Amino acid sequence: MAKQEEYSVIGHPMPRVDAKVKATGEAKYAADIELPDMLWGKVKRSPYAHARILNIDTSKAERLPGVKAVTTGKDFGGFKWGWLGTTRDEEPLAVTKVRYIYEGVAAVAAIDEDIAEEACELIEVEYESLPGLFDPFEAMQEGAPLVHEDCLGNITSEYHWNFGDVEKAFAESYLVREDNFKTPRMAKGYIEPPAIVAYWPDSNHLTVWAAKGSPYFPYRILGRCFNLPLNKVRIIQPFIGADFGGTKNDMVNGDFAAVMLAKKTGKPVKIVYTQFEELTTCTRRHPVWITIKTGVTKDGKLKAIQTKVVADGGAYTRMSPLSLYLMGVCLTLPYELPNFKTDAYCVFTNNPSSAAMRGHGIYHTRFAADVQMDMIAEELGIDPVEIRLRNAIENPKPGEIYHTVNNLTVGSCGVKECIEKTAEAINWQERKEAEKIDGSVARGLGFAAGTYLSGARLTGHNACAAVVRVCEDGTVNLLTGASDVGQGSDTVMSAIVAEVLGLELKDVEIKRVDTDYTPADPGSFGSRVTIYAGEATKRAAEDAKRQLLEFAARQFDVSPEEVDIKDKKAFVKIDYSKSMPWWRLVRLACYTTPGNVIIGHGVSTRGVGRVPDFDTGGGDIGASYSFTAEANEVEVDLETGVVKCTDNSVIAHDCGLPLNPTAVETQVQGGAYHQGVAAALYEEFKMDKGLTVNPNLVDYKRPRAYEAPMTKVIHVITNDPFGPFGAKEASEGSCCTAPPAVINAIHDATGVWIKELPAQPEKVFWALKEKRGKEQR
Amino acid sequence: MKGELKELKFTVNGEAYELKVKPKTLLVDLLRKELKLTGTKQGCLTSACGACTVIIDGKAVKSCSILALQANGHEVTTIEGVADGDKLHPIQEAFIEHGAVECGFCTPGRVMSAKALLDENPTPTREEIREVMQSNLCADEGYVKYIEAVEIAAKKMQGGS
Amino acid sequence: MIKDFEYFAPKTVEEALSLLSQYKEEAKIIAGGQSLLVVMRQGLLALEYLLDVKGISALDYINYDDGDGLRIGALTTHRAIEKSLIIQRHFKVLSEMERNLATVQTRNWGTIGGNLCHGDPAGDPAPVFIALKAKLKLASLGGERIIDVEEFSKDYLEVALEPDEMLVEIQVPTPPPHTGTAYEKLMVMKGDMGIVGAAVSITLSPGDGVCQDARIALSNAASVPLRAGEAERQLIGKVINDDLLAKAGEVASVEADLTADVHGSAEYRREMVKVFVRRAARRALEEARAE
Repeated sequence: MAKQEEYSVIGHPMPRVDAKVKATGEAKYAADIELPDMLWGKVKRSPYAHARILNIDTSKAERLPGVKAVTTGKDFGGFKWGWLGTTRDEEPLAVTKVRYIYEGVAAVAAIDEDIAEEACELIEVEYESLPGLFDPFEAMQEGAPLVHEDCLGNITSEYHWNFGDVEKAFAESYLVREDNFKTPRMAKGYIEPPAIVAYWPDSNHLTVWAAKGSPYFPYRILGRCFNLPLNKVRIIQPFIGADFGGTKNDMVNGDFAAVMLAKKTGKPVKIVYTQFEELTTCTRRHPVWITIKTGVTKDGKLKAIQTKVVADGGAYTRMSPLSLYLMGVCLTLPYELPNFKTDAYCVFTNNPSSAAMRGHGIYHTRFAADVQMDMIAEELGIDPVEIRLRNAIENPKPGEIYHTVNNLTVGSCGVKECIEKTAEAINWQERKEAEKIDGSVARGLGFAAGTYLSGARLTGHNACAAVVRVCEDGTVNLLTGASDVGQGSDTVMSAIVAEVLGLELKDVEIKRVDTDYTPADPGSFGSRVTIYAGEATKRAAEDAKRQLLEFAARQFDVSPEEVDIKDKKAFVKIDYSKSMPWWRLVRLACYTTPGNVIIGHGVSTRGVGRVPDFDTGGGDIGASYSFTAEANEVEVDLETGVVKCTDNSVIAHDCGLPLNPTAVETQVQGGAYHQGVAAALYEEFKMDKGLTVNPNLVDYKRPRAYEAPMTKVIHVITNDPFGPFGAKEASEGSCCTAPPAVINAIHDATGVWIKELPAQPEKVFWALKEKRGKEQR
Repeated sequence: MKGELKELKFTVNGEAYELKVKPKTLLVDLLRKELKLTGTKQGCLTSACGACTVIIDGKAVKSCSILALQANGHEVTTIEGVADGDKLHPIQEAFIEHGAVECGFCTPGRVMSAKALLDENPTPTREEIREVMQSNLCADEGYVKYIEAVEIAAKKMQGGS
Repeated sequence: MIKDFEYFAPKTVEEALSLLSQYKEEAKIIAGGQSLLVVMRQGLLALEYLLDVKGISALDYINYDDGDGLRIGALTTHRAIEKSLIIQRHFKVLSEMERNLATVQTRNWGTIGGNLCHGDPAGDPAPVFIALKAKLKLASLGGERIIDVEEFSKDYLEVALEPDEMLVEIQVPTPPPHTGTAYEKLMVMKGDMGIVGAAVSITLSPGDGVCQDARIALSNAASVPLRAGEAERQLIGKVINDDLLAKAGEVASVEADLTADVHGSAEYRREMVKVFVRRAARRALEEARAE
């Protein structure tokens, strides 16, 4: 495989192709789109967490001047949607029953937003309140009320996997520990709330601009909902104000409402969620209760892990089956683990739905496992870095594959190098021995390592496609259905084309998704875009190149194999005197063969095949796996419990090959902070009987510039055999290592273990007090 | 009379406007809906995210927390008024070159905060940058590149490279 | 959704006062609106008339002389107070307090008078002003009156303004020599409203270092900014040591009327009153000793 320095575009730091329009404010997001005669919509919401809808009277709302249409769930003719064909349990607007507080029950379109809101207040809904379920353990008990009548026991999904022989391994272990951990409900955290503009140019065609990270979800769901063939459903993707899984992958009440109201009125209808609606109704990270039992040898080598996992899935299934699967499947990485058993349950409650979120699934159990690893290290008297090095999976030799006990195939693994480089960069040894207490402040250093799947392999549609069209002036258009939601994939896709065709980045123009023109694509989730859309794009560019090489060969009177294209030049490999500028080659190719167009197309192949089997835990969830090691330093205020990360923060990340190192660094720093440190120390939705009591960005704490560590990113390059140009996913893994690293650092500083995230001040304060109390006794 | 339109005279990006405005209109709504300056984003409407940051008379403020009529007689600068035609502002250049832009939703607000800072204090310390940027919530970029980009821009504006 | 209202933008204090005397309870004053608009956007406040006083430039000033002390116009922005060299020299605690009040963008537009009139017990300026023995000048067409800041807050979001009155000036006396004042609050993130906070002012007698006077005011520890008189009495007349500081904190935590909120239980917040009274008092003491 080629080395980084042999590439002329990829592997080099490059500014993003869309950064300029974003920095000037020209970039249009869904809420920025305005059409002539556009109406504004608003969703009427339920004040009950669990109630039967007896009647909805919209007559007063309809009479309010300025109101153009009102819709209720009945207008959708019994349509239901869900992530899988088997999990279609959610209505566009609730018809017979509401299952969480603020679920949508009706919607209004009016000439302005205020009138629409006023009209919603005039809609009268009669409810019969039902007993609500807000705790998954209560929901699992016999005789508990049912969230969905057809789902006895309120179990959304459950898995029982058994690899190896954990009982035997525990019996042979020198030390066995069992601990309980909990992760909280978290907001997705994007600043741009859901927004949509829906328009029916005529009664048979639907056009939608929406803040959707995976536009082919609404494409299929709205097609089915409104009985439209897919060639009449047009989803145009504006810029997306970040995604992180869940809400912007799939649908919100407002999406269906806007489309229905647009159909009823014949006018464009825009619905922009408020941050309040976002924070009360949109999907969150699952709160998860984890019991983890681990057996190790005397020198700290893992022998077995057994987990019991219970997740609160909220009111609807959404992506929970996958979330739950991911909470188990990657526990066999990044350390060698010969035996693994898990029992996992996801449970319906009358809380807002949980769904995918950056670091999906893996974040919960990696937190538990990597904090417990420090507990074990402490008990055995082994240094936390040393115990990780002893267990870390070796990088397979070229051509070899490492198989985990649950049959994940690992073609490259830089975790050892990540651990070593992180420890070195943070001065692990020296700092560990430094003075910890300074007045009322204690300092501590924590370490963790982790993994993330690279390119989720799922059943159903899982391939990406790309079309590369060479224009007659030598510039190139790239069409893919892949979505850049902020992660920088548009830049990387363009760079791949430029690399293959020997062009500069500026010569390639990538189009944003428009389902009328771009090839269908599963979406932006599961760290899949670089891997699969990247593979498709590479193949498409190679296909275009092949056509041009064939043409060039005819011009030079040689065979295509003897020609190459580089640095905007076509030439005969053994005779440089036979060459032609790129632009001339393209012009001739397009003009001398009348009507010739150079269009390359490519499809990804890696994402299909041995897809996971949720029931047995078998199959390979990723095309490859990224690895991360992270060290964080914290300062704990011993009198208040306030914990702050210092600027001493290092992450080493093995993403195979960073195709755009700048973007990888930004992504890793962001993941480690927003979904990592923030998850460790700050963020949690507080609930009261299904009501979110901190639904604003003042009371729901999201740390900012002042609290941010200046994390240093180290690239560990392993050139994965399966990814395009050796690349693997970048940065989702970084969300998963920060929480254990920070919690381990708090322990290093204070001696207390915080087993429930986040380590908010009060929790730390009481833990410190309890510890002092014990010490005094 | 309630809701009666009132006159608003102000300048936006150097252009003078005379408008009739409903008193309850927030500055962010006037900019976005009436003047079609959608570069200013609306994120939280609770004065918490900073996506709507604009500059009034040289000071960065949140346009979701100001009535449009309160801008009467003032000079407003939005993200659309930062570049000089095709020539980007050094802050914009630094954001782009240094990788401080990801999804971009918070970027206009951040550029405005940074501009107000550097106009007032051309050589801020890292601490001062963080203090000003505390107002601008980001979702995906971990603030590192962003803080560094402001430092780079400050140097550039001082004539350094 | 903000409900419609009629809008006036008086350009002078007299104009504002005559509008107030005309509309009384039906009118609400907006200054910077950094707190008010949040409430209005939630639809929690419907009003007939909104008097926008932000444009009354005559109330935007910071004056100081050794005799009269400090005079701050009610429409002075937080940022102007934070940046004022006079304040940094003579009333450092005010500038420090402002640096942690919300964010720069809020301080650029929000006014000190607006903050005080909003009457939020979690606000930072009121307890600091109470510790500094500040007074407020309230004006109506009928004339002016002066009250202690301590008397101004009546209940949660309720202040002692008559319907036809407005706050025009904050008056802060020059502290006696050997006085130190400090404000500390519990923030999870910089710029947070304090989970609790404490402002402490301590005056020492020059020779023996005995505490001549002490003022302790708490933020977010009751329905109003709370003066902790009992805690003050722990310090007055004594040579302050660490035990006394801790004692003052203990006593203040009993005086406080704390409830649980989304950021902490009542018990935790009580513990934090102890810590923050102690911390603010220690800094105040150090400053008083250094003078």
